[in-house]
Amino acid sequence: MKETKLGEFEEVLLLLVGILEEDAYAFKIAEEFEAQSGRSASIGSVHSTLDRLKEKGFLTSEMGQPTAERGGRRKRIYTITNVGRNALQASRDFKVNLWNQYPGLAIDKLNILGL
Amino acid sequence: MSPINSHLPKLADKLLQWILPDHMVEFIVGDLEEYFAMRQEKLGLLRARLWLLIDVISVCGSFAFKKIRSNSNYRTMFKYYFKLSWRNMAKQKVYSSIKIGGFALGIAATLLIALFIRDELSFDKHYKNQDQIYRVLNESTHPEHMERWSAFPPPIKPALENEFPEIQSVGRLINFDWFDAGSNQFRPIEEKANIYEEGFVYVDPEMLDILEISMVYGDQSALDNPKSMVISKSKADKYFPNQDPVGKQIILNENDNSIYTIGGVMEDPRTNSFFQFDFLITLKAEEFWEGEQTSWGSWNYSVFVKMKEGGDPRQFEEKLLVIRDDYIVPYNKERGDQRADDMAKYYRYDVQPVGDIHLHSQVTHDNLKHGDIDTVWLFGAVAFFILLLACINFINLSTAKSANRAKEVGMQKVFGSVKSEIVRQFFTEAFLYTMVSFLVAVGIVLVSLPFFNTLADKNLSIPFSEWWLVPLLLAFVLTVSFLSGLYPSFYLAAFRPIQVIKGNLSRGAKNSKFRGTLVVFQFATSIVLIICTIVTYRQMDFILNKKIGFNKDQVLMIQGASTLGNKAEAFRNELTRLSAIENAAYTSYLPVDGTKRDGNSFWKEGRRKEDKGVGAQKWRVDENYLTTMGTKLVAGRNFSADRASDSTAIIINESMVKEMGFENPIGQKITNSFEPTFHVIGVIEDFHFESFEREVGPLSLAYGSFGSIMAVRFQPGNTDQMLAQVKEVWDEFMPNQSIRYTFMDDSYARMYDQVNRTGKVFTLFAVLAVIVACLGLFALSAFMVEQRGKEISVRKVLGASTTQIFGLLTSNFVKLVLIAVVLALPVGYYMMRSWLSDYKYHVDITWDVYVIAGLVAVFISLITISSESLKAGWMNPVKKLRSE
Repeated sequence: MKETKLGEFEEVLLLLVGILEEDAYAFKIAEEFEAQSGRSASIGSVHSTLDRLKEKGFLTSEMGQPTAERGGRRKRIYTITNVGRNALQASRDFKVNLWNQYPGLAIDKLNILGL
Repeated sequence: MSPINSHLPKLADKLLQWILPDHMVEFIVGDLEEYFAMRQEKLGLLRARLWLLIDVISVCGSFAFKKIRSNSNYRTMFKYYFKLSWRNMAKQKVYSSIKIGGFALGIAATLLIALFIRDELSFDKHYKNQDQIYRVLNESTHPEHMERWSAFPPPIKPALENEFPEIQSVGRLINFDWFDAGSNQFRPIEEKANIYEEGFVYVDPEMLDILEISMVYGDQSALDNPKSMVISKSKADKYFPNQDPVGKQIILNENDNSIYTIGGVMEDPRTNSFFQFDFLITLKAEEFWEGEQTSWGSWNYSVFVKMKEGGDPRQFEEKLLVIRDDYIVPYNKERGDQRADDMAKYYRYDVQPVGDIHLHSQVTHDNLKHGDIDTVWLFGAVAFFILLLACINFINLSTAKSANRAKEVGMQKVFGSVKSEIVRQFFTEAFLYTMVSFLVAVGIVLVSLPFFNTLADKNLSIPFSEWWLVPLLLAFVLTVSFLSGLYPSFYLAAFRPIQVIKGNLSRGAKNSKFRGTLVVFQFATSIVLIICTIVTYRQMDFILNKKIGFNKDQVLMIQGASTLGNKAEAFRNELTRLSAIENAAYTSYLPVDGTKRDGNSFWKEGRRKEDKGVGAQKWRVDENYLTTMGTKLVAGRNFSADRASDSTAIIINESMVKEMGFENPIGQKITNSFEPTFHVIGVIEDFHFESFEREVGPLSLAYGSFGSIMAVRFQPGNTDQMLAQVKEVWDEFMPNQSIRYTFMDDSYARMYDQVNRTGKVFTLFAVLAVIVACLGLFALSAFMVEQRGKEISVRKVLGASTTQIFGLLTSNFVKLVLIAVVLALPVGYYMMRSWLSDYKYHVDITWDVYVIAGLVAVFISLITISSESLKAGWMNPVKKLRSE
């Protein structure tokens, strides 16, 4: 059985892959992660997480073009799959649903009603 | 961007290629390269490389096991190996626990000995300027007395300082009972009560720097003032808790000449150093008698030097002969000493690195406690043999059980296993067993270390905090499992499936010869150790109980009597009035360690220029000494307090009579060249006043009415009551100083601590070796009974008695043990003969040693195998025969 839950880091990477589109390879993803979250991520963990996402079927990948700054090596470009998109969607829905039940929000509503 | 520079270092590339799964290498390395390029631009090459290192580690950490997983057959196989080994282990509990227990014992013994050896080798290896610190030794290469000694005359220091530019500094040390060196009654000057302290030495101020002694209070100049003293941290805490004692005054032995000022406090000496002293008294401006410091005639100072960087100790050693030729030989020639010529011929110097002092000071007289490199080797060899015995057990048990495993191997082969896979499986099994044994062994070591420490007089612990410990132990486990798994795995893997499954295999019998050889080896080793144990015990017993020429039992030595001063005679009278006390004598000289010695040269009167002197001890004793010690006069008379002429009287021992060449010794006149001529009034029997390792030498007793020790002979009976009475009398006379006493037989026994320890350690290891060998034998016999179960049952049915069955089963093993006895005897004899030859007086190795050792071995092996054999003999034959 494949694990199909999304961890926090996994979810963020999945989102980043979606955002970066054809630039979505490990180095760029890690860079983007750092830029957006302000946290650093080791290249090893990025790679292993991408690998795991691929195993779960949330990502596919293909080899891209070699460039000079990579020493003539090709990059592996990741693309989000439908399953991946669904998983993201499900995760978001789940959380929005939770947020809707969160008391703070409910109180806000009551306050508005009270006015 | 600089693409050429940006390439990854080759090493990183290679490593990644090796570790990462093949399909991942390209893009991961590409990413790293991109990172590297970016960082190189932003942070510079060095930091980019550092980051790269972190990246490589993180990538490898994430993917290291992916490669194996990608070829999942591998992993499954290993999982299977482990599972199988584990099941095998769990299935046969007795067999496995014997295998593991024996192995664990062997490994534990090896670990203990390894700790011991490590500690021995670590002595004095901690100096910053390790290769610049040396001790200078005298060496006599005379064929009749080859020896080394550490004491030099005092002017050696200025001579070395002035004439040897390669020397940075010179420091002297006096570390035997001499003036205030040794042990003293100690008190801070404002206190009243005296407390006995040991570990006083005289040192030059330079010694603090040479031996890199670190100071808690004060600095390296702490000994620069005359009459200053440095004490250790623990002593400072004892006498001056929570304060800086620098500047405090202390007094020794109530002697006004021995008032010292504390100049500093040093860290406690580390246990793995020769330098085990708590009180350092400065030699600055110290002169023990008029002209002492400039005389080349009084040899009392050990010499340490710190060479300048790059100085060559060998060259220095050669150059040192200048001291002999320019000072020592001329000094002795001038005084007409006949030995001067011998000196020029046989006397030289030895420059010894400080790290060699502990283990490489055999036949060196320096009054330090030494280890012995031979003991280290011996223990190492013993450890190796015990480990070997344990490995043999493992091999033996594995191959013995092979019949049971044969079918398993056959099936595996039928289903397509190749030989290498089966080999691998058995290696895994060996590894598992070793690992478990190893963990048990570490447990054993942890539990037994305190006992071992007492036994070996050490303070050992497992160095858990050292980074190399885990890798080292792991390497050890791997090596041992490899060695012990080697034979069984190839032996078992070589079975032919068809034969095995058809049942044609001779069920392990084919290899009984090989197994027999191993059993013989095990028992031979055990027997050698048993012989060693018996002989060391006999030698110990011989030393402690031989007629030694004096009566060491029932003698109390009251120490520190010198503080009695003019109350001494009154104290003696009071004491001898007690009914339990037979006699009491004052002296500083007794035939046990830790009392004074005084080496002299004696000549017949008027023959000083013509003859070579006779080296003899000269002891000052009073008129009660001979009766108190129980020493026999052979001729002449004892001292008498009433005769004034007895102040120049002397009593000599038989050995001295012989050396001096006296036909008729009584009335002869002898001289030591600096005291008035002595006249011989008596001759005593030789008694052992030195260690048994040496021959009884010449000894002379001169009259002296007082000393630092009172030797008291008491009557057998209630010792506690006698002690209480003596203490009462002492307290009356010396209320501020508690009584301190030792029993002479204890002190005597302590001289042979080393022999005693060696004996005990041998016993320990002999017992271990025997246990390991027996465990193996037990399992083998159990196995054999199991194998021959049907045969035995049939025999019983046909009328064999239990005795016959027992004989049948045991005779084989007893034969092996007997062969082992025959092999072990010459080895044991040879080893012990060379050990005993260190002692001038020793026991002979008699035939009964061998008989006892052989009988012990046979007896133990019989007990071991008989339980299984008897079980077989008593078994109901139906049970075995019914099945099938």
